[in-house]
Amino acid sequence: MVSTKGTRSVKKILLWLFAILILIQFMQPVRNHGAQVVLNDISNVIAVPDNIRGILKKACYDCHSEETVYPWYANIQPLNWFLNSHIQKGKSELNFSEFSMYSTRKQQNKLSAIENSFNDNSMPLSSYTIVHRGSVLSSEEKALLRNWIQSSKDSLIRKNF
Amino acid sequence: MALSVIFITACGNNNRLDRTTQTGVIKTVSDSAKNASRTTLFNLYFKLKNSFAADNDTDAANAAKEMIAAFAGFKANSLTPEQSKAFSEIKEDATEHVSHISANAGNIVHQREHFDMLSKDMYDLAKLTGTGQVIYVDHCPMYNHNKGALWLSEVKEIRNPYMGKAMPVCGKIQEELKL
Repeated sequence: MVSTKGTRSVKKILLWLFAILILIQFMQPVRNHGAQVVLNDISNVIAVPDNIRGILKKACYDCHSEETVYPWYANIQPLNWFLNSHIQKGKSELNFSEFSMYSTRKQQNKLSAIENSFNDNSMPLSSYTIVHRGSVLSSEEKALLRNWIQSSKDSLIRKNF
Repeated sequence: MALSVIFITACGNNNRLDRTTQTGVIKTVSDSAKNASRTTLFNLYFKLKNSFAADNDTDAANAAKEMIAAFAGFKANSLTPEQSKAFSEIKEDATEHVSHISANAGNIVHQREHFDMLSKDMYDLAKLTGTGQVIYVDHCPMYNHNKGALWLSEVKEIRNPYMGKAMPVCGKIQEELKL
């Protein structure tokens, strides 16, 4: 008798969980697609050659711009909340789509921070590269980025002093 | 607090002071308050720098945490609009660095990356607002793959915050600020 009662309440809990899971599917955060992505993009203050843009897009832009390319599972909750919180946090640290709005001081420092983060492999995050295998930076790509960062910092100095 | 008490007492006792003098009093009080907030900020930076020289990430995080509040309360003396813009940019940038240092106890390598950028901010701030004391600008040629980095110090003796105990006396004084 006791066991039947127990099974019944487990069923009840599972049913509730299922209902909640269905319900949260209808709660989707707004997608991260800025309407005016080009307006304040980094390319307005710094020359971004196509090969560099390609690297930034595949390795950084999903969380550090207004141009997220969503994976299929972004349609499933609560995964979307998880992704969304990453994107919001990422953008607050560095947003390539807002880069030209930063002070020159901040632009310089963000470029240094970008270099530091891929040098010590803290970026792209391992939780990101495990799904996006293509976003792992090769040593050639790192060298390209390093050169681009150096020349960009030089150009910012020339522009302001 | 003590200053404001004195100020209130002064006001209470000198009802017949003319307007100009009263304005003068207010100005002096607020200027010295600003200078005090500047001294606090630089002293906290030195505390942070000394924590890094001792390779102590926890002390560094604590000093950085205090600096967040110190920056929030920091007001500069009479600045031109242009200086004022530079000031708020420094303040915004530096606040970001101290926040990162404060949040990254356990990762002194990353803390030092932000300390490098913070030190440049503090140098520019010193140039902008003055220091009220002698400050030494030291340079470490080896940090960051020989790109080098500067730091500010309250003492003449070299105590390298980037290399820590591994190379405590590496570096040299490159400038002396007496403003």
